[in-house]
Amino acid sequence: MIDQAMQSVLGWWQLLPGGWRLLLWNTGKILLVMIPLMLAVAYYTLAERKVIGFMQVRLGPNRVGYHGLLQPFADAIKLMFKEVILPTNADRFLFLSAPVLVLGPSLAAWVVIPFDEGLSIANIDAGLLYILAVSSVTVYGVILAGWASNSKYAFLGAMRSAAQMVAYEIAMGFALVGVLMISGSLNLGHIVHSQNGGILHWHLLPLLPLFFVYMISGIAETNRAPFDVVEGESEIVAGFHVEYSGITFAMFFLAEYANMILISALIAIMFLGGWLSPLQGIVPDSVFAIPVIGLLLGHGIHWLIFKTAFFMFNYLWFRATFPRYRYDQIMRLGWKVFLPITIVWLVIEGLAAYFKLPPWFN
Amino acid sequence: MKRRLISWLKSFFFWELFQGLRVTGRYFFARKFTIRFPEERTPKSPRYRGLHALRRYPNGEERCIACKLCEAVCPALAITIDSEEREDGTRRTTRYDIDLFKCVYCGFCEEACPVDAVVLTRFHDFHFEERGQQVIRKLDLLKLGDRFEEEIATDRQTESKYR
Amino acid sequence: MSFVQVIFYLFAVMMLVAALRVITVRNPVHAALFLVLTFICTSVLWLMLEAEFLAIVLVLVYVGAVMVLFLFVVMLLNINIESLREGFVQYVPVGILIALALFVQMIIIVGPNHFGLQDSVLTIGPNYFAQKNFAYPAPAAAEYSNTEMLGRAIFTDYLYPFEIAAVILLVAIIAAISLALRKRTDTKRQNPAQQIQVRKQDRLRIVKMEAEE
Repeated sequence: MIDQAMQSVLGWWQLLPGGWRLLLWNTGKILLVMIPLMLAVAYYTLAERKVIGFMQVRLGPNRVGYHGLLQPFADAIKLMFKEVILPTNADRFLFLSAPVLVLGPSLAAWVVIPFDEGLSIANIDAGLLYILAVSSVTVYGVILAGWASNSKYAFLGAMRSAAQMVAYEIAMGFALVGVLMISGSLNLGHIVHSQNGGILHWHLLPLLPLFFVYMISGIAETNRAPFDVVEGESEIVAGFHVEYSGITFAMFFLAEYANMILISALIAIMFLGGWLSPLQGIVPDSVFAIPVIGLLLGHGIHWLIFKTAFFMFNYLWFRATFPRYRYDQIMRLGWKVFLPITIVWLVIEGLAAYFKLPPWFN
Repeated sequence: MKRRLISWLKSFFFWELFQGLRVTGRYFFARKFTIRFPEERTPKSPRYRGLHALRRYPNGEERCIACKLCEAVCPALAITIDSEEREDGTRRTTRYDIDLFKCVYCGFCEEACPVDAVVLTRFHDFHFEERGQQVIRKLDLLKLGDRFEEEIATDRQTESKYR
Repeated sequence: MSFVQVIFYLFAVMMLVAALRVITVRNPVHAALFLVLTFICTSVLWLMLEAEFLAIVLVLVYVGAVMVLFLFVVMLLNINIESLREGFVQYVPVGILIALALFVQMIIIVGPNHFGLQDSVLTIGPNYFAQKNFAYPAPAAAEYSNTEMLGRAIFTDYLYPFEIAAVILLVAIIAAISLALRKRTDTKRQNPAQQIQVRKQDRLRIVKMEAEE
């Protein structure tokens, strides 16, 4: 019975023209990444409200479902059925395409993320550059949202965010140059491979300043607290998306959280060895051969998820802890502190590479 | 000089940021103070000034004698009273309306009342569903008084020595 | 027509239309956005030429940084495009001349003869657009890395032009900064770093006094 079904399905598969098969196969792969990602985004919003609530000694949402577990769906349904309001004199086309321009790149960047050994949608050689390029396009959605809404608050928010995102993109780019120098490749899979050999071989230690620069720039890049002057609610209401409502607002929301998860995953991949197990080199190799425990302790996607979750939690922790930066302080931090630090560290790294400093540069 | 160096190192290693993170991290695991409202309630003082009610004497006779002192004292002009003589010759209200949108819950009406007829109960989580319902009529006020009579009586008892 | 050709024509047409709209559209912000679209279409075409490094860098540098600043300026300055349009007819002949010169230059410099497809530029004639002159170049091998080849070319054969270009850009940056830089002495400002370093001993003096009668 099952055999026959398999046969017929396989038969259909073989009958399809090559191009169609490729298209279907890739669509399937994309769905396989997107659906868990969207679920993660949905529950990240709940986690944020819960974690920040807990840090402020309250409970957070706990009415919809067991401990509020259905809250994201309630929110999603509510937002979907709300009216999308077009402001007067708004640039209709740009106003409606801005949310797409924000959400699109933040999802497109997931194409090159390696989840496990050879497990990524596309194995691009210039993966690191691709991510930089795609994430730099996100700015457009924000600027256009601000400009097209025909509102002063939105425009101010857009101007702030554009300057901030461009400034921190440079610091992020330089931090990535450090990763590139140490691993000798732009391919994210190769970058993880170059960290093979135990916790000491991870890029975290040799690139510690760059790690911090990247992490903090990542927070600024996603416009999260304490760098959220872009939507600083006490000054400019909600920044670039004041005029958005309903599903268009939801898309900005989704993009912001997808970006946060993306940055967390990138930090895990580039500095903390991606899917590599931290126990490698500490526990004898024979342990990894034990059926279930070995699978759990050995390399695998679960380590990437765990590391990513740690940085995702950090985002929330920072938001609950730090007060908002003043705008000129953000700019000063980006241009006058992070940029020099990265450049100095690149020189140090160059020296280390020249003297073949073990265990990272040999 | 040494101080300069120490503070420079501190800012370089995010010392104060980690201190801040430690505080929030500690409270993350602290016991939560949230009261799950409909199931749990905070204790209320017997002096709490919630929704109004009109009381009756134990024999079922309404206390209000339509003296209109409450109407006079009300700073928000929320109370409207009409009165006429009943068959037994006593003066009673035919209309006793309180507009809850105007009311500021100051409790002056209760203070002014010579017969302890109008009182403010502890009941505070009420709502209206239609326009016009915010004006509560005499019958509803009496019903509220019947409903909370026990609580109202004990509250007035405990507070009697401070009045 | 193969799938690749469909994509090529789609993006080529889109690029040309967008480029045309850049100079015809009335709203300067829309013009800047059409320029962005032109860049993105160009980058797709470059991707199809297996120049993925250049394609990505085009998006990263021009779309991600340069055009953002352009948009910034255009949005903030509120440029009146009508006044810029004045004298359009007057300058058309000069413009066409310059465009032609550029076109000829490009054919000479990046013509098909540089890719081993034509013997020389001089064969321009009725058969210039023949199929064999514009045949597909051989696809690169699987392990061919465009990034690496570009790096090798830049840092060996073209080292001097590359470094000179870099120095010229640096000079431009320094010039811009020194033009914009001015130190104001009449403003009062706080230095939070200094403020938080202050201790009680620096500011406070406790004086012991006899109690007055």
